[in-house]
Amino acid sequence: MKKSVKINTYVLMLLPALILFAAFNTIPLFTGAYYSLTNYRGYGSYDFVGLRNYIDLFQDSRVGGSYLFTFKYAITGTILVNVLSLVLALGLNSRIRFKSLLRGIYFIPNILSGLVVGFIFGFFFTYILPAIGAALGIGFLSSSMLASEKTAWIGVLIVGVWQAVAMNTIIYISGLQTIPTDIYEASAIDGAGKWETFRSLTLPLMVPFVSINLILSTKNMLMVFDQIVALTKGGPAQSTESISYLIYNNGMSGGQFGFQSANAVVFFVVIVAISVTQMVITGKKEEQL
Amino acid sequence: MRKRRLAGAMVTAAFVLLTAGCGSSAGSNGKTVVTLFHYKLEASDTFRKIQERFNETHDDIELKIESPNEAITVLKTRLVREDYPDIVGIGGDIDYSNFLDADLFMDISDFEGTGWIKPEYMEMEEQLELLPKDGTYALPYMANCAGILYNRDMFEENGWEIPGTWSEFLELCEEIRAAGITPIYLGLKDTWTCMSPWNSLAVSFASADVCSRVSAGETTFAVEYAETAEKIKALLDLCEPNPYAYSYNDACIAFARGEAAMYPIGSYAAPQILSVNPDMNIGSFTFPAHEDEADNVLTSGVDLQFSVMKECKNKEAAYEVLIFLYEDELVQMYADEQNAIPCKEGDFTLPTILDGMKEYLESGRVGDFHDHHYPSEMSVSGMIQTYLMDNSENAAETFLSRFDTEWVRYNRDLIARLKEYEEGTK
Amino acid sequence: MNWIRARFCLGEKEEKLSKSGVIITTLLILGCLTILIPLYMTIVIALKSPAEMTNDIRGALSLPSTFSLSNFAEAMEITDFWHSLANSFIITGASIGLALVIHSMAGYAIGRNMVRKKGFRLVYFYIVSGMFVPFAILMMPLVKETAILGLDNMLGVILLYTVFYMPMNVMLYCGYLKNVPMEIEEAASIDGASVWKTFWTILFPMMKPMHATVAILTALGTWNDVMTPLVIISGSESTTLPLAQLNFQTQFGTNYNLAFASYLLALIPILIFYIVCQKQIIGGIANGAVKG
Repeated sequence: MKKSVKINTYVLMLLPALILFAAFNTIPLFTGAYYSLTNYRGYGSYDFVGLRNYIDLFQDSRVGGSYLFTFKYAITGTILVNVLSLVLALGLNSRIRFKSLLRGIYFIPNILSGLVVGFIFGFFFTYILPAIGAALGIGFLSSSMLASEKTAWIGVLIVGVWQAVAMNTIIYISGLQTIPTDIYEASAIDGAGKWETFRSLTLPLMVPFVSINLILSTKNMLMVFDQIVALTKGGPAQSTESISYLIYNNGMSGGQFGFQSANAVVFFVVIVAISVTQMVITGKKEEQL
Repeated sequence: MRKRRLAGAMVTAAFVLLTAGCGSSAGSNGKTVVTLFHYKLEASDTFRKIQERFNETHDDIELKIESPNEAITVLKTRLVREDYPDIVGIGGDIDYSNFLDADLFMDISDFEGTGWIKPEYMEMEEQLELLPKDGTYALPYMANCAGILYNRDMFEENGWEIPGTWSEFLELCEEIRAAGITPIYLGLKDTWTCMSPWNSLAVSFASADVCSRVSAGETTFAVEYAETAEKIKALLDLCEPNPYAYSYNDACIAFARGEAAMYPIGSYAAPQILSVNPDMNIGSFTFPAHEDEADNVLTSGVDLQFSVMKECKNKEAAYEVLIFLYEDELVQMYADEQNAIPCKEGDFTLPTILDGMKEYLESGRVGDFHDHHYPSEMSVSGMIQTYLMDNSENAAETFLSRFDTEWVRYNRDLIARLKEYEEGTK
Repeated sequence: MNWIRARFCLGEKEEKLSKSGVIITTLLILGCLTILIPLYMTIVIALKSPAEMTNDIRGALSLPSTFSLSNFAEAMEITDFWHSLANSFIITGASIGLALVIHSMAGYAIGRNMVRKKGFRLVYFYIVSGMFVPFAILMMPLVKETAILGLDNMLGVILLYTVFYMPMNVMLYCGYLKNVPMEIEEAASIDGASVWKTFWTILFPMMKPMHATVAILTALGTWNDVMTPLVIISGSESTTLPLAQLNFQTQFGTNYNLAFASYLLALIPILIFYIVCQKQIIGGIANGAVKG
């Protein structure tokens, strides 16, 4: 008896979230998925075109290019962001001076608007970095990184990581708070070194947060959009068109709403698959510990 | 059904935050309300004046002008919401074509003002119809134009002459370079700025209806744009090194600071340039694409036009507003404040910055921006940037054949409908 | 309790920074330069006039010729600052409030049951998967839906944010609960407290550091967001700050000086909020709430 009452309370607690989620995520998602079977422009009348959009999708070289760019960007980005933010979180969580001030400063990149970031880093890549490159005689820096198809993605990546680190650092910092401090004391008594403590104590307890951060940063990196708009608008030579950029730009601003809905549906399935894999792997790690 | 149940639960909460109701054509004071939605955010002050003047002089109609940010996106959301304004003021471009194709606008051929407009701009409206359509659906209000802006003082100091032909242009550029100045500045990092020289050249070498003719299968871009593609590449020898590093804003600053003598862009860039250097003396001339000056055509298209929405409940009131907007005094005020070119016939003073293009404008030697006909999702500007960066020998071929294949792909539904239409009329 | 003070109360005289502490501080300050230099450029541009914009490095880094806050004043006027700020506050504040209540309840219900109950595990994946839906596909359907429901107003935006950040927040709460031992509730349950009561009196306060994290992450997403208010409430009276800031960008020109001034102003409230939340994240543990 008691057990079922308990479960009911849990269900009740879940209900507001579930209703809202179904109403404003699932229903519009299904509506969007329906549009992916049409040639809808986003307004006006439309025709049902069956699976044509999906067939087109696999033949579209721009979509293919956007997948290549997005994955190259997301894989490097996720690794960089997680390493940097874990290091930063450990640093900001240790015994240092100006802790609040430093934490505040490291938070700023994430709240700067796209216009500011685009302008400042545009200036940096166009004028400052080439000047530094020329002064130091470093050949590949001496012309703007964003102006070459080969290096533009690195420029976008630098800015993307610069902005993303703040958020993952916050999560790592809050994760570090869940580690009972007496564990460290015990380990200090045992005479374990810093690296040893980190590896055998901090890291295992941080696994849930590593897994959350991996998923969040993979997702954020895969959905890169703001940095593209701010820095390259897909250029040069269409080398930095991300999937989200295509979906928004051609679907919303352009008239390809139906086709890009198909792109979005496929992309959604792809990211879910990646994230489930990630969760399964990190879940196994958690169980091992 | 979940939707409806949810609605019930939320109505109470929503009520608290619900502000004024909308959609009705009668205002609280018994006046007929006409809403005008336009996309010229930069002209919102001018429109505010228009609104004030209109409401001062009209007792039975209240004009409400809306100029939101990101107007086209907002307009689309309003269409989805079925919250229609009465009049929309947008550009004569592909967005208009799509809206028209979605059957959103009212036929206004019975409006007395259709005869006030210069025929060259009315023709452009017809070209914008994806499928030929009877009737009039848009009234051009203001046009803009593109060609080459130049630094007047610099030209005078050095005794440089305005070039009338392509070879004169090349010679001039050599002369400028010899004087140690960059002839032209290109901000090709922003792909859309690639369109400005492209449009100027395309207008000169390809016919105005090239897009619809390609759709009808009568010709190909490979043929029509061959010379355009060749000449735009020649500009790369005349500009600053690595133009792909610099954005539109960088180019405006560089031109304003005298780092280059010329800037192939539209008249619309003037305010941004002048904000950096308010004392600058900017001149303009038509892109000298041909070897005979008489063949040159100025790129000029409709920048602002008005359409009455099909859903408009009060056509007479909307017409009343349009008549007011086209009063000579207001047209001149708008043109002065926004550096725009009136599409209305009449003796209007043009902005001084357009002195060099005046002849073309007055004699109607103009052609519409070709990109007004390109579907935005096709990213022609990105394709042109790709082509310009492509240093291989058959770059032009690759580019033009891609242009043709992509055109057919992106316009597939339209081409099918065109075929149907042709067969229907036969 | 001394070790807690040693770890968390900084700037006290009794605490001497170890050698490694000094090194870490120095490294962190050096790292800050990657943020402070761009920030400096932003501030300088916000103080200059458009006529002082140049393409050369020295010019861009130089201080304005005259020091004046007129850009800030003008930016405030253009964005109708106080009105837009109030709307942004209402939207962000209400979204955070709803997130803390709705998401923590959901996170708790799922987190405590997903190991044993398949249904809850499914719900977890169902909600978390929502995070991966590209917004562009939801946009038009949401515009229509909110209009039908009469939610094309600030309330609608708030509810949408509650949904958009639900996957992340539920994930965070679930993750946090993994490190909170079950014994706490079991003890309460023996004392006869209901699940509902246990949650609100014991668990909810205990999750304070996570509340602060959730609050700051939700605020981060909502404060600067343009897209949602643009498509849901644009054209109505309720302009948010980011929406009003679009006024600085027209089709053929951007006033960077005014825009930067405005963005700097918009940065201040959220920065303060973040610093306050940071104190909560740390403070929560110092209270000795969680101990293994």
